[in-house]
Amino acid sequence: MRFIDLLRTAFLNLWRRKLRAVLTVLGMVIGTCSIVVMVSLGIGMRQAMIDSYAQMGSLTNITVMNWKYSDPAGDGMGNWEEVKLDKKAVEAIRQLPGVVAVMPQITAWGIVKSGRYVTDISIMAIDTEQAAAFDIKLESGDFPSSRSSGGTYEIVFGNGVTSYFYDPKTGKQAVDRDGNSKITIDSRFQLTFDYNNIYNYETDPSTPRGKFYKLVPSGVVSAESNEFSWYCLMDIEALEKLAKENETFMNIDTKNYNQVIVKCESTEAVKSVKAAIDEMGYGTNSLQDWIEQSEEQIQKTQYLLGAIGGVSLLVAAIGIMNTMMMSIYERTKEIGIIKVLGCRMGNIAGLFLTESAYIGLFGGAIGIGLSYGISTALNKLLVNSGLYSLIPVYLAVGAVAFSMVVALVSGFYPAIRAMRLSPLAAIRNE
Amino acid sequence: MEAAPIIEARNVKKVYRVGSVDIHALRGVDLAISPGEICCIVGRSGSGKSTLLNVLAGLEHVTSGEIAIAGKRLDRMTQGELIVFRQKHVGFVFQSFNLMPYYTALENVAFPLTFKGVPRMKRERAARQTLTELGLETHLKHKPAQLSGGQQQRVGIARALVGNPDIVFADEPTGNLDSATSDEVMKSICAVMRERRKTLVMVTHDRNMASYADRIISLLDGRVVDIKVNDHSRADTDTTEGMHE
Repeated sequence: MRFIDLLRTAFLNLWRRKLRAVLTVLGMVIGTCSIVVMVSLGIGMRQAMIDSYAQMGSLTNITVMNWKYSDPAGDGMGNWEEVKLDKKAVEAIRQLPGVVAVMPQITAWGIVKSGRYVTDISIMAIDTEQAAAFDIKLESGDFPSSRSSGGTYEIVFGNGVTSYFYDPKTGKQAVDRDGNSKITIDSRFQLTFDYNNIYNYETDPSTPRGKFYKLVPSGVVSAESNEFSWYCLMDIEALEKLAKENETFMNIDTKNYNQVIVKCESTEAVKSVKAAIDEMGYGTNSLQDWIEQSEEQIQKTQYLLGAIGGVSLLVAAIGIMNTMMMSIYERTKEIGIIKVLGCRMGNIAGLFLTESAYIGLFGGAIGIGLSYGISTALNKLLVNSGLYSLIPVYLAVGAVAFSMVVALVSGFYPAIRAMRLSPLAAIRNE
Repeated sequence: MEAAPIIEARNVKKVYRVGSVDIHALRGVDLAISPGEICCIVGRSGSGKSTLLNVLAGLEHVTSGEIAIAGKRLDRMTQGELIVFRQKHVGFVFQSFNLMPYYTALENVAFPLTFKGVPRMKRERAARQTLTELGLETHLKHKPAQLSGGQQQRVGIARALVGNPDIVFADEPTGNLDSATSDEVMKSICAVMRERRKTLVMVTHDRNMASYADRIISLLDGRVVDIKVNDHSRADTDTTEGMHE
């Protein structure tokens, strides 16, 4: 029997019993729909979770730390060990497959003074060449250069830094009557690392005071730079130089880093890169860890939702089986006739399986169409509830394939029964 | 009977088990039918004639004995092999026509070719040709319900013949028809079979119908009791009763 004839004959067989076929398909539509909508809510939840983490920082970054937590007994009573994270280590990490960029993160606290007003800033040293790879975007201006002529340094202000200035004597914010900051990027700035310069604490007068450096803002970090947006940026060489001059105040080891940030080429690469760095003996963490933990939770919810949807699919599958069994009882004579006429065993099973598959295909396809409608409606109705339904293409395709598989499985036993029927049924006269 | 027989049965026995009772439907039948012969199996109800037809057509397995058709042993085939065998060599005409009610005459006749994997255009051409042979060229698009009993049975015969089988088995082909229509149907099936030089084996309890055959095999209680050869020169002119005492 030709495949096209098989498809055609099976379709006509189904179509002859329109009402029953439509009702069975309807069962499958509801089954598919309920499972797809349930799963889409789960996927929506997961997407919302990932989105919320993505706001906290780049999902492709790994933070490497200069300590390692080892817990050989696995009882939570392990030890923290300090490990050396130096330029050599940075180079070694850079060589790992899947790594796009590596940036040692040297951060320092400083105080910026502009006239009467001051503010504390956290400064991150960056390597201008690497900065672009880490998605550090500037709202305006350029990255700081390493030039430092006569105690003048370039800096990129963190987002919103200019609005944080206040008067240290009165504690008043540096704003005018309209609420606009009196300090702008064009103001004159001075940088110091010695708090005594600002607050005049009682100290041993023999200790030398820290110097003031002239600061020239070269730009402002964009708010879209994830975890970097609130840092002020300085060139790594410039900051190292400052650190040496202010050793007593800054206490920064320019040889060994506290943290190194590693950028991976994709979220998929994060896991392997992280494992490789762990292997090297460093402590690591990435947002992916958090996502993985949340994912476990969400997966459980997804299974629960899927199971709820699955119940109606199961009912639909039993419906298909029932329909096919009924149809075999009704068509006992017809099956006998086609056996006498020379329809092969495989073809008989094929005809019945194809009929089941049609039910699955139509049910699945219509069910997916309906699911998209329900999903859109739900997203409109539940806009502020935190629930969100998302049907990715793989879910749509998968649902249709799955409903066909379910239909085929339900049609299997009836098909075997049909195949085994005796051709003599055709001869018997009623 | 000069040529090698196309159908050969040796000591064929068939036992049905109904509850704890064994029913001996066939108690050792020996039979040889030549190619091109029109052969009629007659007998009372319960004589085992339908069972004999079923085992000869390979619809049922024998309990013991041998059946060979065109040299192939049916008793050694599995159900799947029997179906393939039927597809190639056997056509079947039913008492109650057994046409598919939702197909037209043409589609009904073309249906068996579907299982052989014949493309649609080809099988409809073959079906049209066979129906024309049986005088139904004007009723190709009619559904069974729109045809008379005689016309339906002729569609059934066309369906049995469309695959050009070596043997056609007919189980009471005129059992559901009145006598005038029966004669008409018998004439057309015998004419086609003679023209094609194919073998027809038919079961009937109607002696009038048996007169169309070359040979009449009488069955009683699962045994062949009588084999008569028809003289057609007399049958064409005489009434049929005179022939069989």
